[in-house]
Amino acid sequence: MNSAIERLLDYVKSQKHRIHRRELTKEESKKYASEFQIKGMPLIERFTRRFELFMAAEKPVILPYTRIHGLRTIIEFPDIYCPGELEEIRKTHYIHEDGKVCHLAYDYKRVIHNGLASERNKAKSNLEGANEKEREFLLCVIRCIDAIEGFAKRYADELRRLGRSDEADRLFDELVYGAKTLIGAMQSFRILHFAIWVSGNYNAVIGRIDQDFYPYYLAEKAKGVSDEEIQNLVEDFLLSFNLDNDLYYSLAWGDNGQSVTLGGCTETGACAVNELTTICLEASLNIRLIDPKINLRVSSSTPLELYELGTKLTRTGLGFPQYMNDDIIIKGLERLGYETEDARNYVAGACWEPIIPAVGFDIPNIDGIPMALIVKETITNHLEQCKSMDELLQVFSKRLKIYINENAENHRNLYMEPSPISSLLMSNCIENRKDISEGTKYNNYGYHGTGFSNAVDQLAAVEAYVFGDGSISANELIAAMEDNYAKTPEMKYKLSVEAPKIGRDKKTKGIGDKILNEFAKALQGMKNERGGIYRPGTGSAMYHVWHIEGLGATADGRDADTPLAANFSPSLGIKGSGPFSVIDGFSLPSLWLTPNGGPLTLELHDTVFDSEDAITKIALLVQTFIEKGGHQLQLNAVNGEQLIDAQAHPEQYQDLIVRVWGWSGYFVELDKEYQDQIIQRTSYGI
Amino acid sequence: MAEGIIFSIEEFATKDGPGLRTSVFFKGCPLRCQWCHNPEGLSPRPQIIKNYNLCIGCKACEEVCQHPDNCIACGDCVRVCPRNLIRISGQRIDAASLAEKVKEHADILQKTGGGVTLTGGEVLMQGEFLLECLDMLLPLHRAIETSGYGDPSLFKKVMDNTDFIFLDIKMMDADKHKAYTGVSNEKILKNAEQLKYGDTDFVVRIPLICGVNNDIENLTKTAQFLQDAKNLLYVELLPYNLAAGSKYKLLDLKYEYSFQKPGDKELENARIIFESYGIKCKIA
Ligand code: SF4
Ligand code: SF4
Repeated sequence: MNSAIERLLDYVKSQKHRIHRRELTKEESKKYASEFQIKGMPLIERFTRRFELFMAAEKPVILPYTRIHGLRTIIEFPDIYCPGELEEIRKTHYIHEDGKVCHLAYDYKRVIHNGLASERNKAKSNLEGANEKEREFLLCVIRCIDAIEGFAKRYADELRRLGRSDEADRLFDELVYGAKTLIGAMQSFRILHFAIWVSGNYNAVIGRIDQDFYPYYLAEKAKGVSDEEIQNLVEDFLLSFNLDNDLYYSLAWGDNGQSVTLGGCTETGACAVNELTTICLEASLNIRLIDPKINLRVSSSTPLELYELGTKLTRTGLGFPQYMNDDIIIKGLERLGYETEDARNYVAGACWEPIIPAVGFDIPNIDGIPMALIVKETITNHLEQCKSMDELLQVFSKRLKIYINENAENHRNLYMEPSPISSLLMSNCIENRKDISEGTKYNNYGYHGTGFSNAVDQLAAVEAYVFGDGSISANELIAAMEDNYAKTPEMKYKLSVEAPKIGRDKKTKGIGDKILNEFAKALQGMKNERGGIYRPGTGSAMYHVWHIEGLGATADGRDADTPLAANFSPSLGIKGSGPFSVIDGFSLPSLWLTPNGGPLTLELHDTVFDSEDAITKIALLVQTFIEKGGHQLQLNAVNGEQLIDAQAHPEQYQDLIVRVWGWSGYFVELDKEYQDQIIQRTSYGI
Repeated sequence: MAEGIIFSIEEFATKDGPGLRTSVFFKGCPLRCQWCHNPEGLSPRPQIIKNYNLCIGCKACEEVCQHPDNCIACGDCVRVCPRNLIRISGQRIDAASLAEKVKEHADILQKTGGGVTLTGGEVLMQGEFLLECLDMLLPLHRAIETSGYGDPSLFKKVMDNTDFIFLDIKMMDADKHKAYTGVSNEKILKNAEQLKYGDTDFVVRIPLICGVNNDIENLTKTAQFLQDAKNLLYVELLPYNLAAGSKYKLLDLKYEYSFQKPGDKELENARIIFESYGIKCKIA
């Protein structure tokens, strides 16, 4: 980190750049809205008009210390819908989240390389022979390109006004005619990424920057530029993702999809780790900011050094990198029908979902399947009639299938707002003259399987005590659950503390694997209305919180108020486990069948990271997990005492970052229920 | 087969030897070091541990108890606490079961050049159990951590049956040792002599407590004592843990002492003393 970057970092952290922001006045908002909130105007027209106006209203600001330009100056811009219009649409359609194109990993690489002019020419040449709808689409794409170009021109003018004409030329020319330099490529990336957020599309994934920028890196090296200089530039680039992130739409601060995926393999399967992989990791380590989140693709052949570097990043307490196991994920994606080259090119979506850059428009979070509830209902309604564990599991499978079939009906008639800007940045939309909202090569849906551990633990408890030693009868268990264990504290103790638990007791692994298998089987062969399939996963996102609603107590001794386990992690508050039992328990052979993902979260007390030797050991632990066939891992450096203290004195812990599910967030900003859960999760810390 | 008593099995113990390791904590210790931060390890009997912080005062634990004046660790209260705030520290186990438990993760331990470390409490206090464990834990790499306070003939057997030893040497002066730990250091130094001339790799750990053993004289004497030890890998200085008293309340005990942690400069000076005798020295 050179002194300019240090100053930039201070500048960004002190949020001085925010003085350039403003709210639109009511009159301005009204005036703008009157140009596109027009009933009867096609949505694609509205979208484009809004985008043009928003981009044009943005004032160019050249911040000090940085060489990568582009700053949001307008806080909010009116939406394209007339009042009540979206609600009308909702009556006849399923609207996923906000109905906007989101969670895409774009083909930045292509647009940066070709330049906007070439993309515009392509769009123009496709006008020939286009029908009316296609024509409208292509014209909108061209208008979006013009709007971006106009925006870049004003930035270039501003740079010229400041006497920085070389920079001005580079910014404009490389964006319009194709990038030649690494800095030019990064600058173009910044502007395109900026444009996505302006358009209202969100969770724009950053992707494989160590691969996408590598040709530019090599060109710089050939010119004699040192790695140190390049790292400074990468730091500058990474910092740019923190300028506007508080304005980005997200479920919680930090959940904005700005994820980078590093390492992994190339389309031919060769190791893709290169000098930029290390530079990016070190740059992230230096700037220590919440964005962008780093995902590290690893495999059984990843050397320990890369894990060590990752561990150093974990030590900063940012809650990343998240490790993704290529051996499991690629095989899993192939099974679901992804072509090998595409599968090998996967990146982490907003949280952990493997998605395919440029050619994938999967909705990996279409819904959550409440595994804990389905198991509980299986027990409540059928345990008394079942004579064996096998019988019970068969009933569970049937109920799971029924639940999924019914649930799939909820997502019929999907509504998706058009997006010529996202279409520009995905592959083949221009060639196919079709907006991305209508789908692309991969249009799959992903289901989270939530409450996984509570599902396993319930079945394991039944196996041990109802079918096993007979110490609890079916109706005793059902009655106790009904009563939330109020009159049976001893049974609660037995079930919650003594009963076998996944992530502690090896014998539960069979049930865990069975559940993954059944989940995959239940989705096998199902088609969604967009021509895609369904991807099973082990994540929970917010569902483990939502799915407590009406669940009541469960057969694993969990009472109605206790949260479910998040993602693919042990039930809360289990004692007597440790990192080895956890990584062993959660590296299940059938994980490759559930590649929608959802990580195991392992929290280690931050004092564990206190020496080089300890870093190596933590790296070994992660490597071992991957070699044992674990699919995804989030490792957090958390200090339990610190968290309890943070609850009591939140004002002193404004900077404390934890990773909650797919994202990092500021602890003090989370609701108490999440805070409590994180505190409980640190129990197997060292 | 002898039964032993342990109070914890800790996976991924990063401070207790090479590679990825599991540490097993033996319960019971004949020493009473005033800076002890692990009061669970003192008594060789099971004890209850209560998280008073989160107690809602429902008294269910008191109502169920048949032995209010003399806890027998029956566990009745543990099972009735609605908040799950009580647990029993101390599990009786035989060597075969312990080894089986640890070996559940033999693949992880062996692949990474790690193994198991037996610590405490004081492992030498359960000699027969200890020797059986060392035997049954093979082929894992086995380390022990000990105060060295034990019968020299037992110590010799342990030395010959283990791969690695962490030995605490608190101070060289016998009277002071008795005053601060409750026992003389005579046996400890005798066992240290065996290590010095034996074939087992070892590390000496010194808890460094201000006003107790951080004086130049004590450190110099320790260094002189160790300088000709052929299998001594290094000396590790462990500065006093300011949170030493934190666990006492959980056991319904009071922590009565208060010491100062040595500063960085002092630690550095201590390190230099050992290095000047040709002994590698690390600061924990
Ligand atoms: S374990 Fe609890 S119930 Fe049993 S004797 Fe001790 S205090 Fe009483
Ligand atoms: S049973 Fe638990 S909550 Fe109730 S008084 Fe005892 S320790 Fe406190």
